[in-house]
Amino acid sequence: MIYVIVFLGGAMVMSFEILGSRILAPNFGSSVFVWGSLISVFLAGLSAGYYWGGRFADIRPSLRKLALIIIIPGFFFITFPLYSTRISDWVFTLDLGIRMGPLLVSMFLFFIPSVFLGAVSPYTAKLMIISLHTSGSTIGTLYALSTFGSIIGTLLTSFYLITIAGVKSIIMVEGIILIIISLPLFYLKLQPFSEDTGRLEGGTVS
Amino acid sequence: MRAFIVFLAFQMVMIPGWVSASHGPSDHVLFEKNSLYQFISVEENSDKRERYILFNNSGADQDRGIQGGIYIDDPETLLFEYTRMSFVSLAFIDREPEDVLFVGLGAGAMPKYFYKYYRDANIDIVELDPDVLEVAEEYFYFSEKENMKVHIMDGRVFIKRTPKKYDMIFLDAYRGDQIPFHLTTREFLKEVKKKLKKGGVVISNITAESKNQYFWSMIKTYWKEFPLRSIFRGENSRNFIFVAPMGNPGLKASVILTQAENVQASKGIDLSQITTWSWDYQKNNSKIYRVRTLTDDYAPVNLLQYKKMK
Repeated sequence: MIYVIVFLGGAMVMSFEILGSRILAPNFGSSVFVWGSLISVFLAGLSAGYYWGGRFADIRPSLRKLALIIIIPGFFFITFPLYSTRISDWVFTLDLGIRMGPLLVSMFLFFIPSVFLGAVSPYTAKLMIISLHTSGSTIGTLYALSTFGSIIGTLLTSFYLITIAGVKSIIMVEGIILIIISLPLFYLKLQPFSEDTGRLEGGTVS
Repeated sequence: MRAFIVFLAFQMVMIPGWVSASHGPSDHVLFEKNSLYQFISVEENSDKRERYILFNNSGADQDRGIQGGIYIDDPETLLFEYTRMSFVSLAFIDREPEDVLFVGLGAGAMPKYFYKYYRDANIDIVELDPDVLEVAEEYFYFSEKENMKVHIMDGRVFIKRTPKKYDMIFLDAYRGDQIPFHLTTREFLKEVKKKLKKGGVVISNITAESKNQYFWSMIKTYWKEFPLRSIFRGENSRNFIFVAPMGNPGLKASVILTQAENVQASKGIDLSQITTWSWDYQKNNSKIYRVRTLTDDYAPVNLLQYKKMK
């Protein structure tokens, strides 16, 4: 289950980034500054998410909290059509120039969801380490899955999804998927690594 | 690791392309550069005495990403059929054009030609890639003038931002063989309309069906925004020119043909391409009813460049 979530998290980030370029183009064009803004904001969101997700994971980690980390961007995705055009049009009217305009609108639209999607990786790593003792290979597997998900998300979105559906409906469906996959987490229980007596169910580390 | 994927995503905007007309093969290369947006090259065919500007040329095919060009010995004459077809639009306005906008510079042949005949017109040109302007100046005898300026920015952003209105707007922005998606949508055309004077004309260069999977979607999108429209079909090239005059519903074909003769007689501009007028091109084809209109939300035009055409 956690593997599925990590994979999908990675896929959603990159899918969202590809779609982001389509969201920005009407008001800000497709200049190199638009791509630069978009990519840097996603990377900023991911690095903040890795950092914050790691710290959050150290405080009583649980599958329910992981579910919340996924539900929040899901909610942003589903409601995306309600605010994206308004925010983009508003920043357009501010006329901040060809660099600041797309940078600011990217911050508003893409930063918060990518923080949460970034937090998925360290949080799941912590959960897996609690229940398994081979932490090196566990983290390696999670990284690989996340990035493999990103590749699939990129290719699927740009080669296929964008040709069959509107950008906003793709984002909404992705939001629905995020919320659906988070639901089982409320019912699953963490299984702590049995040989390690220092670790308790629920993941509290002494 | 993720940075690499991001890099791949960034690379997606660089699209190799093909050509708008069968010219070449060229026999020597004068200039090559990887610009911010594309691989630009300048090549010549010394038998035909022609020089071309190419974006993302693939090298293998002789029909490769030619974006514009000139006759080496006669740089003032329009080399490509579609550029000559574009000026047929002069027959669709009932006055001397004062403010004119070109979206996409290429070799600069069209604005240069226009400037030659309309010295007093204010000409704006929008080009995204600064290197294209340098190449046009260096190899294609293009130069900015007091009343002919190049703006280095995205075409759609320029149109949204400009306080000016135009008599004529020429849409000819290609990257490789494709129009950037945000310059094909209905929302974009609405923005273009807002920047047209009453009785102004939009002229769009659209690649033919054989090389453009979204040809009918493009035509349909224009059709929805412009109630009056005329399509000109290239005889020797795979280009269509879409001319859409604003307002003036009384505009009759006979008036347009007379106007074409007048412009030709008074200015000396060659409007013989008016014969490429395809009267009922869109009406006779039911495909237009089966395709989707292009919108900001749905416009996959620049993503399927490798897809095989039927």
